[in-house]
Amino acid sequence: MSEHVVLFAGPMGAGKTTAIQSLSEVPVVLTEAANSDRVTADKPTTTVALDYGVLTLGGDEQVRLYGIPGQRRFNFMWSLLKRRATGMVLLVHNDAPRPFDAMLEYLDEFGDLYRKGGIVIGVTRTDVSSRPLLPDYSEVLHQVHPDKTIPVFAVDPRDARSVGLALMVLVANLEMRAAFVRDPEAVPV
Amino acid sequence: MSDTTSLVVSDGADAELSPESLPTVIGWASAAVAIHSVRRIPTPVLLRLDVVGYGSVAIDFRHHAFHWETPLERFPERPGAVLVETHPTTPDAPAPFDLPGRDLDGLLWLIGQHAFPTRAATWLWGDDRYRLRRWPNLAELPISLDQVRMTAMLGNAAATPAELAAAVGAPLPVAQGLINAYSLMGILRSAPAEAAPVARATSTPGLFGRIRKRLGWA
Repeated sequence: MSEHVVLFAGPMGAGKTTAIQSLSEVPVVLTEAANSDRVTADKPTTTVALDYGVLTLGGDEQVRLYGIPGQRRFNFMWSLLKRRATGMVLLVHNDAPRPFDAMLEYLDEFGDLYRKGGIVIGVTRTDVSSRPLLPDYSEVLHQVHPDKTIPVFAVDPRDARSVGLALMVLVANLEMRAAFVRDPEAVPV
Repeated sequence: MSDTTSLVVSDGADAELSPESLPTVIGWASAAVAIHSVRRIPTPVLLRLDVVGYGSVAIDFRHHAFHWETPLERFPERPGAVLVETHPTTPDAPAPFDLPGRDLDGLLWLIGQHAFPTRAATWLWGDDRYRLRRWPNLAELPISLDQVRMTAMLGNAAATPAELAAAVGAPLPVAQGLINAYSLMGILRSAPAEAAPVARATSTPGLFGRIRKRLGWA
């Protein structure tokens, strides 16, 4: 069986579970529990282990979609998955208290994926908060990581086409990095 | 907006003109040249485009936003005339429309695609190589998946339009239109010193195609 593991990461309330539900062809396995941190994200439940969905490409090839918990106390789950991950869709909600800090934290945590071009940043809830502007995210990224151009664009986790586009961009970026960058860490997908 | 009206002509110079004296220019080329010029001015400038038959577009670069009653789905690819006005402003002055407005990437993509059909924008050289400085907001662009792959290539290597077209197997005008649009959006940098992109023998661009097929996208 050929499997490609794609992680959906980001702070609590960014829309990870919803994004996987939009894309998965099977009912998503959820590990939601009551949210005890209504200050960070005002929603009744939050992911405590993993969300899981799947996209079958034909034959025995699958894209496995994992949503990893947004709260750092669950980050032992991150290390279990990142070694197997092909790439990651990092969702950051634009109305988060410090969206840039959240974005940079995840990039630091998932540095190996970042270096091989395996991270796409989807900014969610831009309809709720229009600031910061999307170019501001790119500017912050350029200041911290001037050597890489990371895809950043608005994503609506409720919209299958929007989430699908994020997946397509992720794969396109991985393939082009592997094809054209003379970097030993860039491997064909 | 202020009462001052000026036309940014194609050589980049500003000329004080009354609206009556503005020449009729077919298509988006004059607007594209004006936008490209205005983006290089260090002080804030508002732009107004009067698209004959389609109303006025107000552009505020400070907020990366625009306002236009005409939805982009009805974007006129070849308008009869587009009159351009520039209006100096200050960093703190109110925007000429209710914010947040619409993301400017979507409008500039369309103008860039249609201003110079099948050829390089007047400020570009066809044999220069370009790299991406930032990704556009793809949520606002009616972009094809071939163009997504071209964008990914520009994020990882410097390429001419011809090299870009060859890499993804697309017609040259499609690649040139993408370069024109991204240049107008200010998200490209020229990289003339970089070597031609050479695909590594081990690359197998296949997963993209299989997901594309699975999602049923053309």
